[in-house]
Amino acid sequence: MIDEIFLSQLKQSVDLFLPETILVATFIIALIFDLIYKNSRYLIAVISIIGLVFSGIFLVNQSTSSAAIFSGMLSFDPFGNFFKILILLTTIIIVLMSVFSKELYEGGRKTGEYYILIVGMTFGMFLLAVANNLIIVYLAIETMSISSYILAGYTKEIKRASEASLKYVIFGAVSSGMMIYGISLIYGLTGSLTFDAINSAMISSDISGLTLLIAGLMIIAGIGYKISAVPFHFWTPDVYEGAPITITAYLSVASKAAGFAVLIRFLKVSFFDSTNYANDEIWTLIGTIDWQIVIAILSVLTMTLGNLVALWQTNMKRLLAYSSIAHAGYILMGVVVMTDIGVTSVLIYFFVYMIMNLGAFLVVMIIANKTGNEDIQKYNGIGHKAPFVSACMVIFLISLTGLPPTAGFIGKWAVFTAVLKSEYIWLAVVGVLNSVVSLYYYVKIFRNMYIRNFEDDSEIYEFSPGTYILLIILAVPTLIFGIYFTPLLDWAESSVKIFLGV
Amino acid sequence: MSLIDIAFYFFAILIIASAYIVVTSKNIMYSAFALLFTFFGVAGIYVLLNADFLAITQIVIYIGGILVLIIFGVMLTNRITGVDIKTGTMSKFQIWMTAILCVIAAIGLILIFTQTNWNTALSPTKASTIEDIGTLLLTDYLIGFEIASVLLLIAIIGAALIARRKTN
Repeated sequence: MIDEIFLSQLKQSVDLFLPETILVATFIIALIFDLIYKNSRYLIAVISIIGLVFSGIFLVNQSTSSAAIFSGMLSFDPFGNFFKILILLTTIIIVLMSVFSKELYEGGRKTGEYYILIVGMTFGMFLLAVANNLIIVYLAIETMSISSYILAGYTKEIKRASEASLKYVIFGAVSSGMMIYGISLIYGLTGSLTFDAINSAMISSDISGLTLLIAGLMIIAGIGYKISAVPFHFWTPDVYEGAPITITAYLSVASKAAGFAVLIRFLKVSFFDSTNYANDEIWTLIGTIDWQIVIAILSVLTMTLGNLVALWQTNMKRLLAYSSIAHAGYILMGVVVMTDIGVTSVLIYFFVYMIMNLGAFLVVMIIANKTGNEDIQKYNGIGHKAPFVSACMVIFLISLTGLPPTAGFIGKWAVFTAVLKSEYIWLAVVGVLNSVVSLYYYVKIFRNMYIRNFEDDSEIYEFSPGTYILLIILAVPTLIFGIYFTPLLDWAESSVKIFLGV
Repeated sequence: MSLIDIAFYFFAILIIASAYIVVTSKNIMYSAFALLFTFFGVAGIYVLLNADFLAITQIVIYIGGILVLIIFGVMLTNRITGVDIKTGTMSKFQIWMTAILCVIAAIGLILIFTQTNWNTALSPTKASTIEDIGTLLLTDYLIGFEIASVLLLIAIIGAALIARRKTN
């Protein structure tokens, strides 16, 4: 029943929930403005940016303490804040990118709802980053998915976009069906849906191993679909190819970030002994199931398939789709370690991946604005037609490969160190071999840009100053974090603290 | 066999038989009507489990809302009522593989449900669960309730967007 204690807790929760509240407010205000000013081109984008920035200001200024909010449904902690900041940065960059997208504004298309849905999707991902209860996880995943289904098919007259959207819906429905079945099994086993209550039920009572394994696998399948881990990746290439480039970039970074946040939180809070947490370095598994091996297998499958299939791709969006699958595999390596060092490496890798992957997609978008499609053949001689853009692309590709002196190297270095420290030598070897394979298809792009087709009519492409500014915003950090990465390390290290419940 | 057992088997057979018709019927109208009985049977099971609120919701939303919508959709879309839905386009190999997978899944599920040490609760003695659900929705599960409202708003915007004619 409602009493004074509940009300004071609710008030505290609402205070800590301010960034999300601002997002919902932005969502509603943008919706109203979209109704009043029907034909404005950039108004809703501007409103969304203002709302996102405000939300970011409150997010950054929030305290670094941890608390359970809304009766333990959500956990407020530095780990969730890291992912929220990452998701918010991605969203802001994507909204800015969308303003310059030719594909999106083609034929005077109305784009108000596009930005509104992006804000709604951000809200879903914020919740996923802090969810501490399986019901909330499910609701947040649905909020995020339904927005992304619509966004993937936003350019609905284009056949491949509607096809992508429909495929996404069907695969998404199957995966969330599996996930909710797994959730029901977990509830049957432990009698609870809150992560920390699941944990204490697992410590205190005897849980049937087989059922727990199947339930856990089903939930991991639902999350694995979001982070496009093999074998739940079937939708990825088609959806990434069909969706507008901005949305492809968004799905490849933000929704993966949210997926990884909930995966790490779920595994750590539910399946690791919370009573034996004196030493932050060591996490002790409860029960007989070795979740590390499960994630390790997923990781190896994901990066190997991603890299090998990427070799044959001739469409840039498809190629980057497989490359993003491969990167999910590298990041899963950091999850396998399941120590604080492992989580730190995941955070570092994700931040770096955000910058370089958004950069690569931005270049693809800029060039598609000029050439009309993303075929890799169209990149012949781009190095001479658009020297600056191509130079940035080279930086992003080197970073995606993981070579110094770029940020990508730091990310890979962090993950491989964490894996080696935990004595998963074979996993590190597979990871390094995969990076070598990935070099081939990344080099193929800049071979096309610089070496192919010299004798072309040497027409120079002109781009708007805004796109240049955006490119610089992404290219400079890619270089800087490759050389001066201490702030990133410090931030990641201070953000590993996951709230374990009261 | 008590009366509750008899009722349970009645509903269980109703669900399985009508679900079979939903899947195998070549006429989409028959499938839609068979779905009515599936939903009704599930509502009956909920009643047997003391979940009165769920049973009412099942009837109001699934039968009253979704199913009526499906039937209207079928009736208002001309050319769909007469079309045979292809149910047999798989090769022999695919059929066998599917059958084997289904049998494995069924055995797995039966094993899970019989071998697991479930966390069971005593059946509640309350006359109605509606009041408790209402209180919980506005206290412990308040945030879930609010997320659901945003989720539905997004879904409505999406539906309107998809249905909108091409603007010029």
